[in-house]
Amino acid sequence: MRAGTIAAVVYTGLSLAAGLVFLAITTAFGNYNWVARIGGAVWVFALCMIILMPTVIPLVRERMGDRA
Amino acid sequence: MTTEQTEKREKKRTGTEEITLPVAGMTCAACVRKVEKALSGLPGVQEANVNLPAGKAAVTYDPSVASPSDMERVVTDIGYEVPLARLDLLVLGMTPGHCDLIIEKALRAMPGVRNVVVNCATDSVKVGFLDVAVSPATIKKTIRELGYEVSEKGEGEAGADRERELRRLEIGRQLVNMLVAWPLGAIVMLGTFSDYEPLKGIVPSFMGEKLFLFALTTPLVLGPGRQFFVNSWNGLRRGLTDMNLLYATGIGAAYLIAVINTFFPDAGFGGEKATFYEAAALLIAFIVLGRYLEALTRGRTSEAIRKLMHLQPRRATVVRGGQEIELPVDEVEVGDIVLVRPGESVPVDGVVVEGYSAVDEAMVTGESMPVDKRPGDEVIGGTINKTGAFRFRAVRVGAETALAQIIKLVEDAQTSKAPIQALADRVAGNFILAVHALALVVFLFWFFAGYHLWFDADTKLILTPYSLENLEVFGFALLISVTVLVISCPCAVGLATPAAMMAGTGKAAEYGILFKGATAVEALSKARVVVLDKTGTLTKGEPSLTDVIPASGPPGESELVADRPDGLPVHGATVTRDELLRLAAAAEKNSEHPLAEAIVRAAREQGLDLAEPESFDSIPGLGIDAKIEARSVLLGNRKLMTDRSIDLSSLAAEAERLEAEGKTAMFIAVDGALAGLVAVADTLKETSARAVSELKRLGLDVVMITGDNKRTASAVAAQLGIERVLAEVLPQDKTSEVRRLQGEGKAVAMVGDGVNDAPALAQADVGIAIGSGTDVAKETGDVILIRDDVLDVAAAIQVARATMRLVKQNLLWAFGYNSAAIPLAAGVLYPFFSQIVSPELAALLMATSSFSVTMNTLRMRGYQPPVKRGPPPASPEPARREVRTAVEARP
Repeated sequence: MRAGTIAAVVYTGLSLAAGLVFLAITTAFGNYNWVARIGGAVWVFALCMIILMPTVIPLVRERMGDRA
Repeated sequence: MTTEQTEKREKKRTGTEEITLPVAGMTCAACVRKVEKALSGLPGVQEANVNLPAGKAAVTYDPSVASPSDMERVVTDIGYEVPLARLDLLVLGMTPGHCDLIIEKALRAMPGVRNVVVNCATDSVKVGFLDVAVSPATIKKTIRELGYEVSEKGEGEAGADRERELRRLEIGRQLVNMLVAWPLGAIVMLGTFSDYEPLKGIVPSFMGEKLFLFALTTPLVLGPGRQFFVNSWNGLRRGLTDMNLLYATGIGAAYLIAVINTFFPDAGFGGEKATFYEAAALLIAFIVLGRYLEALTRGRTSEAIRKLMHLQPRRATVVRGGQEIELPVDEVEVGDIVLVRPGESVPVDGVVVEGYSAVDEAMVTGESMPVDKRPGDEVIGGTINKTGAFRFRAVRVGAETALAQIIKLVEDAQTSKAPIQALADRVAGNFILAVHALALVVFLFWFFAGYHLWFDADTKLILTPYSLENLEVFGFALLISVTVLVISCPCAVGLATPAAMMAGTGKAAEYGILFKGATAVEALSKARVVVLDKTGTLTKGEPSLTDVIPASGPPGESELVADRPDGLPVHGATVTRDELLRLAAAAEKNSEHPLAEAIVRAAREQGLDLAEPESFDSIPGLGIDAKIEARSVLLGNRKLMTDRSIDLSSLAAEAERLEAEGKTAMFIAVDGALAGLVAVADTLKETSARAVSELKRLGLDVVMITGDNKRTASAVAAQLGIERVLAEVLPQDKTSEVRRLQGEGKAVAMVGDGVNDAPALAQADVGIAIGSGTDVAKETGDVILIRDDVLDVAAAIQVARATMRLVKQNLLWAFGYNSAAIPLAAGVLYPFFSQIVSPELAALLMATSSFSVTMNTLRMRGYQPPVKRGPPPASPEPARREVRTAVEARP
């Protein structure tokens, strides 16, 4: 599998996990409406993607020795 | 040898090459990091350093693996542009329908050529090419080899023009964005606030309709705002982030909230009262304004290099076969005789063979007065002929000319990075990610804790009439999170150091001071000890006659006693000063010793007629014995005179006095009697004493190093006001002396001849090669002074210190802005004042931060080193005061 694909799986998976954790917390605790829960989860997912994409891609490429 | 030279030699040995690739479209430090990472990721590329203000990337690569075209591709892929050079050629001999196809095909096959437009009707061929991959000369040669006559059209191709053209295009592009963004943004803002005083009743009510605002804002986001989304996505998918990402998330979130509140007002984002269309619109308008202002001002920091480029003449008049031919300057060859008329620029470097004129060299050497040029004198390409016409033989052409070398040196310096930049680079490089991480933390904090603890229904956005009573927890936390993204500005951090370095090194070049890198600027600003080599640095480097003293009576007394019928002087008689000099010079006429040459030169300058010696005998280590006009003349030291039983008592005291002043005294005996003595010394340069005084005023310890004996050295040092002297130091020992001074814990700047003192210059923390003249490429110092004026050492230190002051001010401003603005945007004051920063205000603040750094840097344009403004009104240290000199003689 190419480094780019592996990296995409990693950063998307982690971001999705973060969004889902947010959703789970806001559903289990507090009194948040669906806009807050879904909107918040989407925003957390988006920011996590932005943070993780440039972090994960070089790491995976480095590990796989793929600089291209 | 300097570290840089060692590196260059190493690169040559290992088969790597270095090119400077122009990169357009970078706006901030994150762009720098993005381009550097992309280039470094290319197989075969070993190192990539990007200079943001210069818009250039210095790339070290293995040419067998990577090529400039690969670099161009990777830079273009991540959303930037590698500007093409343009060549506008006049090609004669083309016929339509055939020749144009041949030329086009041949040129397109060349590596680096990107577009070719051939117009047979106008004999014109326009080529767009990557100048790091192929040179204009190669393109022209290819066309010539096809059988056509080719010459370059007068204007348009030079680097300065290209850079100006690029800047003009960038300004134009941002201006168009401004013309779209500002009117639409203003209408959206008026519409948004149409229900508030004083706009209520003035602004038509339809302008406040959400659908109307949606209709105006959407093209704004998709038009001028589109670049932020496209560029950030292009970077993200390659694992790279830049400033566009902050803009894109800020604009995208504000626009999305507005759209949701328009079409789903009950969704909990603040409802119809908080549509934020004006936030998205003004965000774009302010960002575009910031970019426009940056485009206007940033290019001006490299004004000096552009001025130098403009000096390069385009055409030359060459005399070939007795005919005067006007040629493009790049066709002038070494050995050509070039004609320069009054008012014209000297096209290349050479030596005058005929004619006389005064040439203004200020723009190249910093010399303020025009310099007289006679046959045998050197002329420098790019300087301006003032009065007469002259012809000269071309010695250096093309990239070898002094001007081309100076431009290359300044460009290299501006592309290099100073150590102080390392911290700024690290911060700026990770800034975008850090800000997004902070935005996430801020969002989670206000979502889970802050909103519940402190939310006030009367919450106001600073400088807006908005009340956010309908805002619920998600909308509130999101708003603050977005504002944090928008207000953060790594641009200012990234610009702070390189912009100041560009301005400083460019300004120094105007005074004939060339820094070989930003490291040299920083090192020189930190120097605390300056070691000045005596010969050639403080002194003129060639002996000259200082005293002529006849055997009796004061110098110049005209008394001749001759009691012989033939009028010749006899034992005990005196000769006149001129006669004494004439005899000494005639005796030394055939000697090649430097002291002899000084005597002969002085006699000729005084118009004395020198007889041919009838005999001449050099006595090694002692002097000479000659016969002039039937008189026996002895000239030499004490030992010679004592050996010949000449009584020296009448002049012994004078001789000692002269030697105590650092001069070399030589006795003259005529016909067996002492006739007088002459003294020769390496005289001080006119500016040496003032330079030493200025260096002391700058707080530097001034040390003189010389191979002279202690007495001579201390005499010279006393004249200059130098307290510490390292005497009797052999050339090969200068390095260890510099090392010894460094061992005292102070940064040492060594000033000397760039060739003879090269090892010592390399050993010093910063080496200053003085008086390099026009062949700057051969110099070894970290700083090169074109003129032979030691006062320029003080000027170089002043420029370096001013530059570093500017760097620190810029960094303070940039870090200070972010340190203050980010917490403010994150809502630290909200619990106390119930007000938050609006995204549009955040955008305005962000735009002003990098603009302020650039404006601060532009102050350097008017900078003049204090030492160049003339002597201080009252020097605290007269040059010739009595000083206690500590002389340290070396074994």
